[in-house]
Amino acid sequence: MFTESIKNELRRIVGEANASFSKEDLLCYSYDATNKVSMPDGVVFASTPEEISGIMKTANAAGFGVIPRGAGTGASGGSVPVEGGLVLSLERMKKIIEIDAENLLAVVEPGVVTWEFQQEVEARGLFYPPDPTSLKFSTIGGNIAECAGGPRAVKYGVTRDYVMGLEVVLPTGEIINTGVRTVKGVVGYDLTRLIVGSEGTLGIVTKATLKLLPLPETTKTMLAVFPDVKDAARAVSEIIKARIIPSTLELMDGVSIKCVEEFAKAGLPADAGGLLLIEVDGAVETTEKEAVIIEGICKDSRAISVQAASEKNEVKNLWKARRSASAALFRARPHKINEDVVVPRSAVVELIAGVEEIAERKNLLIACFGHAGDGNIHVNVMYDRSDPREAKAAPEAVEDVFRLALGLKGTISGEHGIGTAKAKYLGMELGPAAIDLMMRIKNVFDPRGVLNPGKIFLQADMSPASGARPAQGAPVRH
Amino acid sequence: MEELKHLKDEINKCVKCGTCRSICPTFRVIGRESASARGKITLIGARFNSELDITDAYLKHIKECTMCGACRDTCPNGVDTIGIINAARAQAVKEQGLPLAANLFLKNILDSSKLMPFALKCAARFQGVFFKDSGVDNGLLSRFSLPLVGQGRLIPPLAETFFLDMPEVKALASDTARTEKNRAARPLKAAFYAGCGVNYLMPNVGVKSIEAVRKAGGDVVVPDSQVCCGMPAYYMGDVETARNLALKNIEAFEGYDCDYIVTACATCTYGLKSVFKELLSGESIRSREMTARVNAFCSKVMDITVLLADVLKYRSEGGNKDAKRIVTYHDPCHLNRNLGVRDEPRELLKGNSSLVFKQMRFPCSCCGLGGGVSLTNYELSIEITKRKAESVRDSGAEVVATACPGCIVQIRDGLHRYGVDAEVKHVVELL
Repeated sequence: MFTESIKNELRRIVGEANASFSKEDLLCYSYDATNKVSMPDGVVFASTPEEISGIMKTANAAGFGVIPRGAGTGASGGSVPVEGGLVLSLERMKKIIEIDAENLLAVVEPGVVTWEFQQEVEARGLFYPPDPTSLKFSTIGGNIAECAGGPRAVKYGVTRDYVMGLEVVLPTGEIINTGVRTVKGVVGYDLTRLIVGSEGTLGIVTKATLKLLPLPETTKTMLAVFPDVKDAARAVSEIIKARIIPSTLELMDGVSIKCVEEFAKAGLPADAGGLLLIEVDGAVETTEKEAVIIEGICKDSRAISVQAASEKNEVKNLWKARRSASAALFRARPHKINEDVVVPRSAVVELIAGVEEIAERKNLLIACFGHAGDGNIHVNVMYDRSDPREAKAAPEAVEDVFRLALGLKGTISGEHGIGTAKAKYLGMELGPAAIDLMMRIKNVFDPRGVLNPGKIFLQADMSPASGARPAQGAPVRH
Repeated sequence: MEELKHLKDEINKCVKCGTCRSICPTFRVIGRESASARGKITLIGARFNSELDITDAYLKHIKECTMCGACRDTCPNGVDTIGIINAARAQAVKEQGLPLAANLFLKNILDSSKLMPFALKCAARFQGVFFKDSGVDNGLLSRFSLPLVGQGRLIPPLAETFFLDMPEVKALASDTARTEKNRAARPLKAAFYAGCGVNYLMPNVGVKSIEAVRKAGGDVVVPDSQVCCGMPAYYMGDVETARNLALKNIEAFEGYDCDYIVTACATCTYGLKSVFKELLSGESIRSREMTARVNAFCSKVMDITVLLADVLKYRSEGGNKDAKRIVTYHDPCHLNRNLGVRDEPRELLKGNSSLVFKQMRFPCSCCGLGGGVSLTNYELSIEITKRKAESVRDSGAEVVATACPGCIVQIRDGLHRYGVDAEVKHVVELL
């Protein structure tokens, strides 16, 4: 709980109407898309870097935690106030400041919804590729904090590949600019890359300079249906082997298809074992040529059918189906652990076969879907918390999946981040020296540990005994 | 108890993914989590678990919803968001009572087939005192701030003669039953339900509807004891008033031997077709006889655009082909989201050769009127309309067609406020 004097100070900084300590508002800022709940002690709706700077200085002086938050749609608990504290909402900072068609860049505030930004640039014949599944409601700021990926990553990369520069409020309150507005730039350390994907633990992004591309002339969408999900995965490897990089190469297994079709009614074959949603983009002649080759490869990989979506509505429905997969899976079981492991693309078949084996061994329903084209598969371990056997088996299965992915030279998270959900698994992938360096970096940025406490690193590791403790002693908790 | 259990299950189905945020017209204006369905469901869940009292803030948040249904339609988990919010409103009314002004209006005026016309007739006579003519077609600016009327708001003028009082309409109140023998030989018969919008504000929409049905070969009757559909009361949580009105309407139409019950109002169509069933089922009224009566009534209900386009295959004669006007269409939530009617009104417009149809961006986004928001929070309501006004302006349309008097009132107000020069008409006025 905040003292009256802290509350008044916060009200003074952001204005009476933009600071709330009411139970109603606290409840509404207590969760994110992981559905984990922890009550904050206050919420502020900031509108300028100066206000945020003032908030951070107050937080350092008084020793309370500040949790930056965009749309609250993250998948690893990054914006959940696990230790209470002040939620700093960036929802009001939603201006597109400029779109520079000559230099192929745009400058935006963090609260801009990704899809709405894309609509604006596409209306000018430009293209901002990163497309996390939540793009219609998540924000650029959140995308940057988590280094969001998406289906187009197979061809266009992820958020970090489009962030040229940032304006950032440091945990200690200074406002800095990183990066450039130019194609090249090597002055000093690459702080931009360090901030992108830092999960709101190193600074608060208040402005981002984003790289744009010319909008591809056309996009062709295809749907290939397979009897077995492993056939679909095999087709993915074959397509890449044929030197074609589709702009989208999405996979869904049988369970995902069934749940999604129940909701989206996009005409997916509910009894299929697996499917691929494939898009190629570029000049008309190229996409037509590539589509023919891809169709052949899918058929050689035992596809039952390969169809091109002819109408805009059809494409829209297919994407609605794909984008609803994660939430629609709750139709199968009441709870799930959603992991986003990545393996080298050539190992996708082995990953899927391995997950099937784990599901069988643990007697659990595990649904796989995701960005097969870049090797990033969302592995959803479905269970029912009220069933003791399943409640025990599910986290064990998750560890097995991580071990499997790492064994295939992969990583335990492609785009969701660590947050609170995966903190305890950090050591499975990173060596102690690397983790120690990361914690020391965190301490340099945030000596009093006030920005987004409780994320990425286990609190035990951040304790004084680890040697990576804050330089000026442990942060004072309110 | 069963209902409460169902509600809790429904609340638990929300996994807080956030898909309901950007699609929500109120959230787009307010920009805070409490305005999104996810936030409201969190608050309602806390309320039902007794973690939260009925506070002013709680009431404010659950009222910040136009009930457009965009969140429900987009929810991957199929959460009945509207059902949850409506139940929360009904519960709040039960525990707290309606605010005084709304209570008087809904209970005593809406609920009486005599008082409502009387009250509005008085208002029609005195409207010159309260409103000055804004010079904009079909709208008056409020001169004085009335309880439900903000300054600068474009208020539709009350009709000089209400639709149900027109002699030609009154003449259609008597019906002759068809016998088995002559049923096949006689034309299709539609019983027209006017609703408050058509009756008090836009009698011409009723007149044009009747004309169109007749032109396409149908016969029309207009039962004279029909009353308000009760949807305003329903959406403000006053289920009791809504139920009484539903019963009165079913009784009003039961004496007529008709094939269809037709309305020219999206909200009335949805109310009559779907909400009546909900209102007149449930534990208190579960009787077989009642169910049969409600089903018989509801199964006949049809929107005028569907009757004309699909059943009567209406053919437009077109007007002046040399002076084509650009028309766009706004989808009323109650037709589009709740009843799936999207193509029929567009087909009718496209069939008129003196019009050029042009789709606007976001045709399905809510106009901002519904769910009681225009009554309880006009500033929010008209802010929502801004997006609609911008879509209309960007489309270049000279006429906005829609199929709901409520949407017409709201969009006219919005276009006026945001300086967009376009007429707003019901589809039946453009055939």
